Amino acid sequence: MKKLRIPLAMAAAATLTLTACGGGDGGASTNAEGETLSVWIMQGTNPDAEAYFDEVKTKFTEETGATLDVQFIQWAEAHDRFVTSIAGGTTPDVAETGNTWTGEFADAGALAPLDEYVTAANLDGDLVEGLVESGTLDESLYGMPWYAGVRSVIYRTDIFEELGLEVPTTWDELVDVGLALKEAKPEMTPFAIPGDNGYAAYPFIWGNGANLATKEGDTWTSGLTSPEAREGLEFYTGLATEHGLSSAGATTWNAKDILDNFVQGNLPMAVMGSWEPPAILEQNPDLEGKIGAFPIPGPDGNISPSFLGGSHLSVFESSENKDLAWAFVEMMATGELADKWAEQTNYFPGQTSLLEDAVASDDPLVKPFATQFVEGGTSVPVTPQWGAVEAQKTLPAMIQSILSEQKTVDQATEDAAAEIEELLNGN
Amino acid sequence: MSAPPTDLAPPRNTRGGVSPRTKRKLTMSTARPWLLLAPALLVLAVLLLWPLLRVVLFSLQDYGLREIVSGRSNYIGFDNYAEIFADPMLWQVVLPNTVGFAIVAVGGTVVFGTLVALLLASLSRGWRTVVSSCIMVAWAMPAVTGTYVWIWLFDADRGLINGILLGTGIIDDPQNWFTDRWSFYAIVVLNIVHHGFPFVAITVLAGLLGVSKEMIEAATVDGAGAFRRFFQIIFPTLRPVFAVVIILSTIWDFKVFAQIYLMPGGSGSNRSVLNLGVWSYVESFAQNRYGLGSAIAVLLTLLLLVVSVLYVRTLFKEEK
Amino acid sequence: MSAPAPTRSRASTPEVIPQRRPRSPRARWILAAKALAVAALLVFTLFPTYWMVSGAFDARASSGAQSLLPSEPTWENFRYVLDEGGFGTFLKNSVIVALLTVLASGILALLASVAVARFKFKFRTAILMMILIIQMVPLEALVIPLFVQVRDLQLLNSLLGLVIVYVAFSLPFGIWMLRGFVAAVPEELEEAAYIDGASWGRMFWSVLLPLVAPGLVATSVFSFITAWNEFIFALTFMDNADNYTVAVGLQQFFGENSNQWGYVMAGSTLITLPVMIFFILVQRRLSSGLVAGAVKG
Repeated sequence: MKKLRIPLAMAAAATLTLTACGGGDGGASTNAEGETLSVWIMQGTNPDAEAYFDEVKTKFTEETGATLDVQFIQWAEAHDRFVTSIAGGTTPDVAETGNTWTGEFADAGALAPLDEYVTAANLDGDLVEGLVESGTLDESLYGMPWYAGVRSVIYRTDIFEELGLEVPTTWDELVDVGLALKEAKPEMTPFAIPGDNGYAAYPFIWGNGANLATKEGDTWTSGLTSPEAREGLEFYTGLATEHGLSSAGATTWNAKDILDNFVQGNLPMAVMGSWEPPAILEQNPDLEGKIGAFPIPGPDGNISPSFLGGSHLSVFESSENKDLAWAFVEMMATGELADKWAEQTNYFPGQTSLLEDAVASDDPLVKPFATQFVEGGTSVPVTPQWGAVEAQKTLPAMIQSILSEQKTVDQATEDAAAEIEELLNGN
Repeated sequence: MSAPPTDLAPPRNTRGGVSPRTKRKLTMSTARPWLLLAPALLVLAVLLLWPLLRVVLFSLQDYGLREIVSGRSNYIGFDNYAEIFADPMLWQVVLPNTVGFAIVAVGGTVVFGTLVALLLASLSRGWRTVVSSCIMVAWAMPAVTGTYVWIWLFDADRGLINGILLGTGIIDDPQNWFTDRWSFYAIVVLNIVHHGFPFVAITVLAGLLGVSKEMIEAATVDGAGAFRRFFQIIFPTLRPVFAVVIILSTIWDFKVFAQIYLMPGGSGSNRSVLNLGVWSYVESFAQNRYGLGSAIAVLLTLLLLVVSVLYVRTLFKEEK
Repeated sequence: MSAPAPTRSRASTPEVIPQRRPRSPRARWILAAKALAVAALLVFTLFPTYWMVSGAFDARASSGAQSLLPSEPTWENFRYVLDEGGFGTFLKNSVIVALLTVLASGILALLASVAVARFKFKFRTAILMMILIIQMVPLEALVIPLFVQVRDLQLLNSLLGLVIVYVAFSLPFGIWMLRGFVAAVPEELEEAAYIDGASWGRMFWSVLLPLVAPGLVATSVFSFITAWNEFIFALTFMDNADNYTVAVGLQQFFGENSNQWGYVMAGSTLITLPVMIFFILVQRRLSSGLVAGAVKG
């Protein structure tokens, strides 16, 4: 955090760094000589995770005497992995939990509340609100905000320049740009619509003024059947089925396939996460200087809201030395290491004082995302049950069935809405 | 390894009828088979019988993550079954997929395997060894690897099949073979038949080589054609062999899991390709509804038990 | 597939050297059809394997530019999966699991099959029936209770936990098959051993065991395949990459490298080869074992 320009925040950060170091030798936990802390981290967030965690390990051992055992878990199956380990009693001490799952695992009694630790570390009020909200269940915080990300459109600046294309700012322009790309670059897939990735579709539902589900009294109602949602989805899937901007293969693609194909130069633009540019450049250094990003346009200008995704660090109830576990969480989520992580991964830190700096960045690969983050960052319905909707793959199933023309938009949204309501209202 | 039995008296064979013996010896010879059986029975009891009972118990409960962690029970009677049977998914998707697929796959495997066995039997010895070794290669390929190879072959953008079809102009745009229920299952059938026919071929071949050649020669002299020879002589003689291969294939194909779960869309995002095994797994481990998942598993087991009863009856009939 | 009939008598007596008598046009036509059938069969059987191996050696497989012959042969894919993919660990784990499974299930099944084949006792038929029925239970249906069971035994996330489950799976088939082999050993041989003063254990080692060896080979193949190929239990039981067996290891690897077909095929080749070699080695014993066990049952 060397470039912090807000004096107050700097002071806060300085205190935090001190606390982070100090937190270690305060409690009885510090002398954890010989103990091992097991940690699960999601794979693929940081292209150079090994080097980063080597540093963390050394530091952690220096400060606490304990050794760190880091396992990398894939996003695609992390949810099932967590659930089995909770059921089997083989949970780690600390894990990175996706912010849509934290409530679910806390609800199952698997996570330890962190409020006391947060207060003791003077972090109250310095954590990013959206992440605190999704990490809270029944007034207790179970997930320490670690980092947040948002999806926008990543595009190939070289190709746009070559064809004299402008960044689209409305849905109509998006179609025009897509058609121009299709015309000029027939070997590329102008705008891939991944069937196995619901997050890429959310902006087109939200952007048209619809919601996924809202709670009234005790009942959740899904907005997917509203005319706005249907129109939005009609447009989104129509990019593939009507305008032919996607490919047949993309119907079963997930986020990883989008990344791979972008890296291989098959995609001129795609809805991708703010964390993905480093991975793109690492895997294909030739693209250096040739990629840019723009916020997902709204139907008639403005910005379509995009899912504010992110991760918490959670301490598991089964952990035998929770002080030691917290020492690790604090070390990772605040101060120098958190800043370094955010920088390496292009994620936004979960600590407000660090976030402000990131948002003010002028980096062309950060700024559009920051705009999207601030002006159009939205959360999925806040309930522990939302994890079940994700695990059921309700939205990917909906999109896939429309893309493969097995169902009409009306039918698919009706089925998905029924499933969402059933899951959220718990039968 | 034979530790328990060695310190007992030398065994007397009891099969030749019960000969008069002392009471002591009788105790020992009654104990020995049980001692020999004990380890196996213990393993079976702990890891198959008790779990089998438990899956039924789970299926009668609203068994979620909380229950599984705490071990508390939460009986709700037959609600899970009621939910499954009321779910149109079962009747429109899951059951037709499971049963239809099993019938096609078993038919395909057994017919193709038998044809291959007949072909092998007609080859000279050297060729037969070479060809059957090659067939083994298909059998030996693990299900997971085999599935990935088929996925690659049919991949929309990088697959050989689409490459050939596009190259020859049969299709104009790449086809995604995994989104359509029929083409999805066609690939699964191909995968299963490819992996399963060697077992049938090798087993039937071994049976064929044992068929009395005098009978076949006599039939040939009588002017019986190939088809008649097969159905009148070979098939009846090999009936037990066919019973075994048909029923084992049925069991394997009913519960196929990895070959579907690993395919694009197979783990839940393409609802139209779910089968009983995958449905049970997804309900259990993705939705934490272990009770409902267990009920689906029980349904699958019952379906198979019907087949098993047929198997057992056929076998015992043959023995008598 | 053409009618194999005319050569039937020759095929059934493999000892006879094929005569080189002049062939009628019909016989020649049949021969050609047969050659064609064999060729088609071999292509169908071997092509996926060929495609896998050739992809594994092709530097361009990942970019989707693979042709029928590897255009740029390379070991790079193998180097990557061994160095970065962790396949060395997966292979080691699977070898341990498979060998322990084969050994334990072989011993248990042999002892049990001697009991049911050589002794008459109360409930013998009941036990045989039970073994038969159990063999029909779809193991996939037992994932949930076995998961809980293995957790209660504190064996989740350990290779041993998988071994005991695989042993349980391969036992019924093993017992059923070995029963036929044990029953086929003439009792006179056993009695001769006793007359020579052998103990039961000695007789077991030097008379029974060698004679049922082909049956043991067949059951070993089955338990080996079960342990090597099994996917769903390994997927649910293991949550530490150090303990993955090959099937789960490959699935995990595929999740990270789903479009790098060269790597995926190199990994696939690595885990397929041991099974293939094993299969081809035991092939001959296997086929006799299969028939004897399954049919004479």
